[in-house]
Amino acid sequence: MNGLETRRRPARVILWGALAAVLVLYGFPFVYLLLTSFKTPLDAIAVPPQVLPSQWTLDNYVAALSKEGVVPALINSVATAVLSTAFSLALGVPAAYAITRYRTPSGRIFVIAALVTRMVPTIAVGAPLVETMRRLGISDTTIGLAIAHTTISLPLSIWLMSSFFEAVPVELEEAAKVDGSDRLQAFRHVVLPVVSGGLAVTAIFAFLASWNEFLFALLLTSVRAQTTPIVIANFQTQFGLDWGGMTALSAVYSVPVILLTLALQRHIVAGLTLGAVKG
Amino acid sequence: MKLRSTSGRLRTAMAGIAVATSVILAVAGCGAGGSSEGAAGKLTVLVEGGGKAELQPIADLYQKETGTTVELVELPYDGLYDRIQTELGSGKTSFDVAALDAIWLSAFSAGVSPLDELFTDDVKRDLFPGLVTEAQVGGSYVGMPVWTNSEILYYRTDLFGDPKEKAAFQAKYGYALVPPTTWKQYKDVAEFFTRDTNGDGQTDLYGTDVKGAVETEWLATVSQTGEKTMVLDPKSGDVTIDDADHLAALNFYTSLLPSAPPGAAQLDWAGAQNLFYQGKLAMMRFWGHAYTQTPANAAVKGKIGVAPMIAGPGGIAGVPGAWYLSVPKATGKQAEAKKFIAFAYAHNNLSIKTSLGLVARISAFESQAGVAGHENYPAILTTLKSPATIARPATPKWQEIVTSVLTPMLQKAVAKGADNAALLKQAKGQIQAIVK
Repeated sequence: MNGLETRRRPARVILWGALAAVLVLYGFPFVYLLLTSFKTPLDAIAVPPQVLPSQWTLDNYVAALSKEGVVPALINSVATAVLSTAFSLALGVPAAYAITRYRTPSGRIFVIAALVTRMVPTIAVGAPLVETMRRLGISDTTIGLAIAHTTISLPLSIWLMSSFFEAVPVELEEAAKVDGSDRLQAFRHVVLPVVSGGLAVTAIFAFLASWNEFLFALLLTSVRAQTTPIVIANFQTQFGLDWGGMTALSAVYSVPVILLTLALQRHIVAGLTLGAVKG
Repeated sequence: MKLRSTSGRLRTAMAGIAVATSVILAVAGCGAGGSSEGAAGKLTVLVEGGGKAELQPIADLYQKETGTTVELVELPYDGLYDRIQTELGSGKTSFDVAALDAIWLSAFSAGVSPLDELFTDDVKRDLFPGLVTEAQVGGSYVGMPVWTNSEILYYRTDLFGDPKEKAAFQAKYGYALVPPTTWKQYKDVAEFFTRDTNGDGQTDLYGTDVKGAVETEWLATVSQTGEKTMVLDPKSGDVTIDDADHLAALNFYTSLLPSAPPGAAQLDWAGAQNLFYQGKLAMMRFWGHAYTQTPANAAVKGKIGVAPMIAGPGGIAGVPGAWYLSVPKATGKQAEAKKFIAFAYAHNNLSIKTSLGLVARISAFESQAGVAGHENYPAILTTLKSPATIARPATPKWQEIVTSVLTPMLQKAVAKGADNAALLKQAKGQIQAIVK
């Protein structure tokens, strides 16, 4: 036993070393962003760059959060992301269920068509969307932007949920039907609880797609529905970049996503595992 | 039992989402930024983030005097270009006026209305010649200058005013130490101040910086040679970047490298500015607006002097960094939009008290002569009024030329052992391929 442990130790050290390296590689930019948000303007653009602030300050947070338009933009971001997530789930879950349970040629074409929409560059649909939103009278509104974001997240939601439904044995629904449930009841009371992990994964991906989206927010909003990514980008002006303000607001904007991911971590892992294994 | 329990939780969660969605849907119609005003009596102006403050006092006064609300829509610099391009391309715009960077005028000229009637002789007389030229695309004025900038010379007054330094410089170079006005003086002063100040064997004070990651300073140097066709002639398509003047400018630009900090290839505006603020540079050529924005904790706070940009064989020259107000053809509020632009021109001096403090009219710059704390205005004025100061070429391909040719070329030029003539020749071929 001890011999086996001894033989495994170098491999473990290498493994942990590799994991630490990957963690540093992925984590450093965010850590640097956080540290910069506590730096003075001079430290923030020091040449050569310095990792730690020579003088810690909260001024960047105070300045960023008191900047005109920041708080409304944060509210808009939350509202847009929640709405877009709701739309994606409301449309994507039934679509994915139908595709996996009614295996028809048109269903397969639909799935491929949904995937193709992800291959069209976002900017290519920008101008038509601007015009569509104007005609609908929902330019510069949260609901308009949420609908636009749904066009991004919906194909992904359909594909993700399809793989989760595929993993649920049809026998479960048949058993529910034997017990007197109709298809809708079986779907609500049997299938949906089984794929709750998948729902969480899909929801978080849809939420993130909207939360981080920039181009549609740029094209479709002006003042009333402008979201935080645009406000963050506004710190870059023609004559320079306010690193302190930009990093402070970016740090604030990252918090909800980090908390959401931590809260749903178990569901995400379970959901990804469920989708990866076919029954 | 377990299935039922899970289903119950799911139902509760779904109900919660439904309630939240309903609430959000109720407020989503208008967003959190405030309620929409009716289209009547309102002008929407697209402006870059840094320029919003410049226009705000003008917009406020316009609303007060006319009753028309002016909504300034603030967008990031790169995003503003994309937004305008998309909307002009769609044939309908959500804005009535847009603030355009000088280098975008050509690209957007087809989508904006001529403003010829606003350019009276009096107006043209009160604008810098370079800006009047730049505002004209295809024979029509397509934008009214609203603010402009130029690089000027920044120097350390504590160093230039030090009697010991003055004496040492006089002894070494045979003339007085003053803020340089010519290439030769600039090179001498830069060389003089490059030194190890604490005796550790490392150079810690440099005479100047050399920026390799941005192109505008080299273009100013090109104008200082007296060159009248910067990089290319947009009308004929002839590319001039490999002529003798461009080469002389590049040779002078790179000749300053021994007096500049290492890492020139990556040095941009922010980096240079920081080196100067840290007290590591004796001089810097930089945008004029920054004079009033020195951070409180800068090592050189209170020790900064400014002067017009240096002169080459052709005289003093900078690159005008102007922004223009334009009216999209697609807006239905042509008359109101042009009225606002005329108002902005008439009240240009309101922008003096903003954070950037930039204006466009000569008279507005002249009004600050002798005003303490506004020493940058005369320096900008002299630089922009100089006959050698010319605008960048009016080609819709300019941004592409800068990104894919000029900046990479400069980054190679500031590397050790670079062949400037060969680099310019290579750049010529690349630009010809872009504009053909």
